[in-house]
Amino acid sequence: MKKAYVRFGLLLVLIFSLVACSGGEEGEKEVKKVDKTNKDVTIAVSATLTGMDPHDTNDTLSNSVQKTMIEGLVGFDEEMNVIPVLAESYESNEEATEFTFKLREGIEFHDGTPFNAEAVKVNFERVANPENGLKRQSLYGLIDTIEIISDYEVKFTLSEPFGAMLNTFAHPAGGIQSPKALEEFGKDVARHPVGTGPFKFVDWRPSEYLEVEKNGNYWKEGYPKVDKVTFKPVTENGSRVAMLQTGEADFIYPVPTEQVEALQGKDGIVVDSEPSIVVQYASLNTMKEPFNNPKVREALNLAVNKEAFIKVVLNGEADVLDSIIAPNVQYYEKQTPYGFDVEKAKELLKEAGYESGFKTTVWGGNSSTAVKAMEFLQQQLAQINVELEVLPMESGTLSDRIWSVENPADAEVGIYYGGWSPSTGDADWGIRPLIGGEAAFPPNSYNVSYYSNDKVNAGIAAALETANSDDRAAAYKIVQQEAWNDAPWIFLATTRTLAGKRDYIEGAYLLPDNSLSITEIEIKE
Amino acid sequence: MLKFFIKRILEVIPTLLIVTVFIFLFVHMIPGDAARLVAGEDATLEDIKLVEKELGLDRPLHEQYISYMGGLLKGDLGTSLKTRRPVSEEIGARFMPTFWLTVWSMVWAVMIGLIIGVVSATKRNKWPDYVGMFAAVSGLSLPSFWLGLVLIQIFAVQLGWFPSGGMESWKSYILPSITLGTGVAAVVARFTRSSLMDVLKNDYIRTGRAKGVNEQNIVWHHALRNALVPVVTMTGLQFGFLLGGSVVIETVFSWPGLGKLLIDSVAFRDYPVIQAEMLIFALEFIIINLVVDLLYGILNPQIRYD
Repeated sequence: MKKAYVRFGLLLVLIFSLVACSGGEEGEKEVKKVDKTNKDVTIAVSATLTGMDPHDTNDTLSNSVQKTMIEGLVGFDEEMNVIPVLAESYESNEEATEFTFKLREGIEFHDGTPFNAEAVKVNFERVANPENGLKRQSLYGLIDTIEIISDYEVKFTLSEPFGAMLNTFAHPAGGIQSPKALEEFGKDVARHPVGTGPFKFVDWRPSEYLEVEKNGNYWKEGYPKVDKVTFKPVTENGSRVAMLQTGEADFIYPVPTEQVEALQGKDGIVVDSEPSIVVQYASLNTMKEPFNNPKVREALNLAVNKEAFIKVVLNGEADVLDSIIAPNVQYYEKQTPYGFDVEKAKELLKEAGYESGFKTTVWGGNSSTAVKAMEFLQQQLAQINVELEVLPMESGTLSDRIWSVENPADAEVGIYYGGWSPSTGDADWGIRPLIGGEAAFPPNSYNVSYYSNDKVNAGIAAALETANSDDRAAAYKIVQQEAWNDAPWIFLATTRTLAGKRDYIEGAYLLPDNSLSITEIEIKE
Repeated sequence: MLKFFIKRILEVIPTLLIVTVFIFLFVHMIPGDAARLVAGEDATLEDIKLVEKELGLDRPLHEQYISYMGGLLKGDLGTSLKTRRPVSEEIGARFMPTFWLTVWSMVWAVMIGLIIGVVSATKRNKWPDYVGMFAAVSGLSLPSFWLGLVLIQIFAVQLGWFPSGGMESWKSYILPSITLGTGVAAVVARFTRSSLMDVLKNDYIRTGRAKGVNEQNIVWHHALRNALVPVVTMTGLQFGFLLGGSVVIETVFSWPGLGKLLIDSVAFRDYPVIQAEMLIFALEFIIINLVVDLLYGILNPQIRYD
């Protein structure tokens, strides 16, 4: 018995010392060889899925999974250009009030219901009707009438011109579900998705996995090329990366920025890093002192080294932001970056009457990246004697103190650090909610710099009143120039999409809006 | 004794009623507008108002409480704001994973903790005691997320013995239960050691030794049994805490349990789910306390329930 104690004690010491010593090896990325023999793919994602009804979803992740089963009339390609999907072709009138789609013929939903103009009408009438209480109602709320011209041709008439409508149709929320399923399941279609996509729904256990299988009847010849795809929510970054290393997952996203270097180039693993449409900025409350002074705003922009910001905060996985929207957003127009010039910044502050600097606060989310970003700003602005207090907040508090403020004069916010992803890929959704004048002030929308410039407001309105891309581009050109020069934000970065995969995976990629496309996924021999 | 238990069970009802009021008020007092969070990051005010109406969040608080209680009495825990699935389904699916993980963690943690505790107490101030207590203090001080990630790196990534996460086979239980149980084993070891050392000082132990009872028999049968009373209380409490689901471990190992659900729900202000989880936690503690009381009686028949 005594000997047993001794042995046991030794064993424990051994285990603990093993655990203690192995700590240093965390940075070393060991990669298991994987022999892929089947055609099943496992994809590890960063959050739990919320629902499979595209009309009632507002997270990109759930949208991505929906897109494997449910398709829209139009969609996005790798660069967020609008491409035909279930529609063969489309046209609109010059005033952007009428949109006509010619539909592909001979397509069936997974339950055998034929896809036709009637199905399109049923879907958009469902999402656009406020009485249905669906989360994406506002995207399609301005659809006035839907006219079935023939079995395979359908015309939408809007109650007012909306130049960005085509992109709105391409948004995942415009997914067409089987009318039979909509009738049978009602709101429960969120758990019984039936579309026309390359994969059919099999099973979903919210905290464990969602499984889809090959749609043998898919309209795109030769696809899909795998039999089964399983999505697994793995929220912890380290665990998600480990799944790729062990081969338990074939594809993971996002790869945490701090792990990219350790994984990239390791035998059998590829990390894809591509520009996204997500912009990172620090908005300045232009109604409040000292940010109501354009010289102060310019000085703040000059005082921050954006390259260093990208290196320190985002581990290099980002690019310097050079307009109010990212390059992959439609009608983007490059502006001249402010550069990094502490002396000039000090000079400007002096001219503005803040020679000895000032004290202010930056608000933002409480994720470790947001906190790091705000601390970086704090350190940078200290160079021009601006003392920045960092105040990370939890989402509910942010919502109370920033987004729900009724009266602009009551807004306490000075600097807010945040990001924005215009999910329709159109300049309108990248610009209007953030700097679209009074109409976009909280609580209506997200103009937390309380910025209003008549030229910008007029440009935003003009661009919506036409479907002509040249006219729209011209309007957005002025909007971007004006906003850039007025600097309602400290312009920081556009992030990158980061996907990690086994080297035998092809045809799976992230779009600039961070949504996933796996229609063409295949396992290479 | 039967009377005692019936009385205790009846006492549960008013306790639970008070608990519901507190939970409801507390949950609705957390700052943050649920409708806004449900509607999403880029929702328009229109969307938010629509969601608010759809979820019944525009009604006065007391009305919301009455309808919540009305549902509760019929056994209806409500519908999740986030997934719009019945709360009972959301929680039901996650209870068993948390329960079994807790059970397995407790089983090995209590066994190992007891052994270390007994060894340390009997070999007081000799090297087995030092080793045992060193292990216990280490076990208490190791942050569990770190331990979890290290175990994944060694046993899943490098050695490939166990899966890095998820809940698929018995192998999936090993790493999370080690991570979860380490802290408990450490606490059990320290409690057992100190409690056993106290008991070993008693007269009846000296008498036992004097009349020549063998030392193993004294420790394992006579002393340990009495020393276990505080250990059982503490183990019961630990069990209750673990049953609440460990956020950290469930996150690291992608375990589909209650802890992660709670954190997700709080971040989302998913009131019905938060309320239901809190209610279940309260119920769990009440039940565990009952069971612990019962165990006292078995361990020490001198404890009576009158």
